[in-house]
Amino acid sequence: MVRSLIASLAWSLSAAPAPSLPGGGPIQVEIFEDLAAGKEFDLAAMKSIDRYTEPAFAFIHTPTKFAANAIPLDRSTPFILKAAYQRNYTAGSYTLRLRARGAARLFVDGKLVAQTQAQKPNTSGDDPVPPAVERGNTPLRPAAYPHQDSLAPVQLSDGPHEVVLIAVIGGKGLYPSPGELAVGIRTKDQLVDQLLGPHDAPPLTDAGWEAYSLASARRHAESDKVRRRTVSQEVSALWNARHKSQPAKSAPAIPSAPDGYPVRNAIDNFINVKLAATSAKHTAALNDLEFLRRVTLDTTGLIPTPAEIAAYLKDAPKSRRANAVNRLVDNPSWADHWVSYWQDVLAENPGILKPDLNNTGPFRWWMHQSFSDNIPFDRFVAELVQQEGSATLGGPASFSQATLNDSPPAAKADIVAQAFLGQKLSCSRCHDAPFHPFKQKDLFALAAMLEGKDLKLPATSTVPQGEGGRKPNVVSALKPGESIAPAWPFAKLLEHADSGTLPVAAKSATRNQLASFLISPDNDRFSQVVVNRVWKRYMGVGIVEPADDWSRGRASHPELLVYLAHQFRASGYDLKHVAKLIFASHAYQRKAAGTAADQMSSAKRLFAGPAHRNMTAEQLVDSLHLAAGKPFDCEEMNLNPAGDRSPKQFINLGKPERGWHLTALSNERDRPALALPIAQSIVDVMTNYGWRQSRQSPATKRDDAPSPMQTLILANGVLGTRIARLSDDSAFTGIALGNATVDALIEQTFTRILSRKPNAPELAMYRNLLAPVFAARVVKGAEARSTRRESDGRVSWSNHLSAEATVIRLEEERKLRFGDKPTERLTKDFRERYEDTLWALINSPEFAMVP
Amino acid sequence: MINRREFLATPLAAAAAPAKGKADACIFLWLGGGAAQIDTFDPKRRGDGKKVAGAAYGAIDTAIKNVQVCEHLKQTAPLLDRCAVLRSITHPIVSEHAAAANLVHTGRTPSGTLQYPSIGSVVSHQLGSKTEEVPNYVVMGYPNITRDPGFLGAKFGYVYLTQTEIGPNGLVRPPDVDSTRQDRRETLLASMREGHQNRNAGDAAIQAQGDVSRQAFRLAGPRFMNVFALNRESKTMRESYGGEFGQRCLLARRLVQAGARFVEVSFNLNFLNGSGWDTHNDGQTNQHLLIRDLDKAFATLLLDLEKQKLLETTLVVIATEFGRPPEFDAGGGRGHQSEAFTMVLAGGGIKSGLAVGATDDLSKKVIERPVSIPDFHATIHNALGIDPLKNLYAGDRPVPITDHGKIVQELFA
Repeated sequence: MVRSLIASLAWSLSAAPAPSLPGGGPIQVEIFEDLAAGKEFDLAAMKSIDRYTEPAFAFIHTPTKFAANAIPLDRSTPFILKAAYQRNYTAGSYTLRLRARGAARLFVDGKLVAQTQAQKPNTSGDDPVPPAVERGNTPLRPAAYPHQDSLAPVQLSDGPHEVVLIAVIGGKGLYPSPGELAVGIRTKDQLVDQLLGPHDAPPLTDAGWEAYSLASARRHAESDKVRRRTVSQEVSALWNARHKSQPAKSAPAIPSAPDGYPVRNAIDNFINVKLAATSAKHTAALNDLEFLRRVTLDTTGLIPTPAEIAAYLKDAPKSRRANAVNRLVDNPSWADHWVSYWQDVLAENPGILKPDLNNTGPFRWWMHQSFSDNIPFDRFVAELVQQEGSATLGGPASFSQATLNDSPPAAKADIVAQAFLGQKLSCSRCHDAPFHPFKQKDLFALAAMLEGKDLKLPATSTVPQGEGGRKPNVVSALKPGESIAPAWPFAKLLEHADSGTLPVAAKSATRNQLASFLISPDNDRFSQVVVNRVWKRYMGVGIVEPADDWSRGRASHPELLVYLAHQFRASGYDLKHVAKLIFASHAYQRKAAGTAADQMSSAKRLFAGPAHRNMTAEQLVDSLHLAAGKPFDCEEMNLNPAGDRSPKQFINLGKPERGWHLTALSNERDRPALALPIAQSIVDVMTNYGWRQSRQSPATKRDDAPSPMQTLILANGVLGTRIARLSDDSAFTGIALGNATVDALIEQTFTRILSRKPNAPELAMYRNLLAPVFAARVVKGAEARSTRRESDGRVSWSNHLSAEATVIRLEEERKLRFGDKPTERLTKDFRERYEDTLWALINSPEFAMVP
Repeated sequence: MINRREFLATPLAAAAAPAKGKADACIFLWLGGGAAQIDTFDPKRRGDGKKVAGAAYGAIDTAIKNVQVCEHLKQTAPLLDRCAVLRSITHPIVSEHAAAANLVHTGRTPSGTLQYPSIGSVVSHQLGSKTEEVPNYVVMGYPNITRDPGFLGAKFGYVYLTQTEIGPNGLVRPPDVDSTRQDRRETLLASMREGHQNRNAGDAAIQAQGDVSRQAFRLAGPRFMNVFALNRESKTMRESYGGEFGQRCLLARRLVQAGARFVEVSFNLNFLNGSGWDTHNDGQTNQHLLIRDLDKAFATLLLDLEKQKLLETTLVVIATEFGRPPEFDAGGGRGHQSEAFTMVLAGGGIKSGLAVGATDDLSKKVIERPVSIPDFHATIHNALGIDPLKNLYAGDRPVPITDHGKIVQELFA
């Protein structure tokens, strides 16, 4: 059954108004859209689009709007937020504080008591830095520029009263988010406002607000997750039905296992046949801790924590590995680790500053939710090429963008063909491919399918014929300006798409056709390319290499490939199923041997052991922070905190907590006030470890060979210093203060960082270093100190040309080098020795190598 | 009558290939924001800062006959005979800074099939290392993709610093780690590293990784770090260069002296006038302070390189992403203009003391001998002995160093 994609749902979490309890229940919030200009506050006759609750009058996040297939949708520009709340009050004088950066009105018992002005879009870069707000004697959180506070003294009688807030969110040239929209309430004898709400609502202080904001982010993420899964139940069922209705294909035969080679599952049968044929020896098996470290990195992108290691070792030896795998594939970080991969392959490339360098929108968000919900992979591909939903909020529509590219659909055709069909069309972008069996017309026909209509060949996508010069080596049958119709160019792979309908149809017929071709159950190439990618990710090298260019290589184990592809398809295109098969094999559970670079020829790929891999850049920075127990504590990736510019020019990618949240810092203008020093310190490490800050083209393999700068940036840079520094918020400080013996300290440290115990020489070396100062290490009476890193939130694009903004950021850069304030609770000598221990462990080549 | 093809086949054609320059290093001074040519190296009649278009300052004679520069380039004017002023640079990217900066650095617009390398990376790639004691390619400014190595790979990337006092990122030890502490750290690490290598004696990948780690610490040793120590220069020398931009130029000379190939020096600090070279509105008010800073640093650099006998082998470039129109905007400043602007070359064995190309009476349009960005790149490469039409390789794909760039022949004997 085919359904319309754009289906706004009027759906409600709780319909009944709050009872008038003494303390009050939650705040009832409604979202309205499509109000006519000038009529933003005339809500009486309007029906709300969404209804939800908040624990207090503080609106930092709003629910995402989802289509029937769970892709995020844009709301209208602007949209309206209405919050209503009734509770009993004791008689007295109160002051209400309406805080908003846009137009808002506050009503008490139907009477307007306070209002704020509409926000004006800002087009200047020449504003001054807003003055630092005077706090005086009050702990009140100041109104961050450009929020306005509108105060309203009210007299309330005993009994119930209703407060209603109506606020305009976003607008033309503005960012579609509430900022720090809030209402506070205070009696004369209270020192500071409380957020309006139940009697236990938090105070409007920095600490109160930050705690609320953190909780709000988690609450809304959770609520978005629940809502989108509920909303898309029907679509999910349709995908299941589609899979069930596909005719079952006969399972490929599994060869018998040759004698003398270990087998854990069918994968080993295939591998062992070739090993036996070449009389090659397989590598030794990993021990339990090596296996746990490897598989934890491969599933979550993180090293295992001491608690995970302890739980694993408590399990019976025979079942601990399988139990760990089952736990780990369901870990929420499974999604994070896959996003990093597809950002490269699909060239996700958002820009936070006037993106004009082949930038896309932030479809990382839709990818994360897709892996988090473990949607079937064929559905993921179909939704990607249908390219619908919000471009700003990172729905699949943001995949279609490529700023200042002379043919975005052609760029995307190249990406899609490499990602899902192993067809590298890149050379056909501007001419017929010289070394591949593709013509320029093939790429543009595919591009036209993505676009939804005929495409004209841009002159800039052709090779010019020099005047009277020699003939170019590459030619094209197409002429500039020629029109190319949508057509599936890979008849050799698949002649016809299956006739099963897509559960959700896009508006564009050719996009639906393309999706159908790609995910057709008869499209063996699709299943094989995807399982090959998964295999390569975990085994270090693919069954087919190059994984994105199947014209250039051969399968080393063709029957294994067919087997895995069959498993993938039969499971309903479930990546977790394929992953588990691989993790359970003996082939995966062996020590690494050789590198991928040595095994590009199919004859050389035996999988006697997986190929050596180092941690990816994201695994490295995420694992370092996890080991130290420190958050990124990074600036928000947002050059327009005031929200007074269009999201087309400035997007907010939020506060990064994982490597994949970061992006290029876009300082092509080279201006100090546009720097984000903390983010830069993390990006510096990641770029040296192969992470691309700008993904203008698709990539399956990263440029991450070991290099001196990799070593040095970690050894000397700000990030490495932070991880090794014993500040009061470091997990290592806790370990140092807590441990009874120096040996226990050393063992815990090794477990945390290297997932193993120290060997005898290592123990002796660190004992030598730490024992002399261990007994007297604790400084009595010293207190823990705050370790927050300050980033001045007043600096933005709007004022970045001012000398003051420049000085602020330059000063932050300088201070950052000194690192987190060290704890005073340990003696300096002990602290420095223990920090040097940490430094040696995180900089040892072993740390970053996947076991 | 011989036809063109026959003509090209004759030995005469071979003799038409231009001589190369003598440079083996390049100092690339980047005026971020778009420097107004009419207010610097291509002055015209005066405007009034409001409705009448024209130069904001007076013009003075230089060491090149019939060539003038802005009156605020007093120190540079008598040294212009060491320079070649390219007044007819033109390209079509006028509105976006990032896109224009990317074009001037990489010589091309993004294609979506690969990422083109910056000129610094190409030079590093083509010329190789003179020495292990200093990085090949250094940027004094912010890391961004216009400076990146693209498909050439990380090996041809750069080391960067944003403040000369802080020094190069990743190479300078954290402030709380003195040499005693560093020795202790490196001893512990060496033990970890060797233990790992010994436990995996037969494993080539593990051996190689350990070796890279060991070599890295040798690279960032004292000889290397001394190059960045500006306090080794005399007070007089430092003062003659002037402010932070000047100090960066001095550091560039030290880096080239020590063997670096390509040093990009960004003039991006906007203390002096607010907006740096991007002089919209009231950024124009104090633009003369910027120009004077540039003047002092550039003139000192030329004389310093000359004195050190490095000028002949060091190509100095003054580049910017675009120029600015002769008209003034509502705030008395200028917008962007990419159709006609100026870039300057000096040293490197090029023929100097000449101006190439010309613009109309308000420097609004090129009227003589346009020079495209590929041509500009081709000229720089030729000065460095690099063939601008030689192919680099992105995998199997040949990518010529420049996109059909034609060398400005007038600059080579």
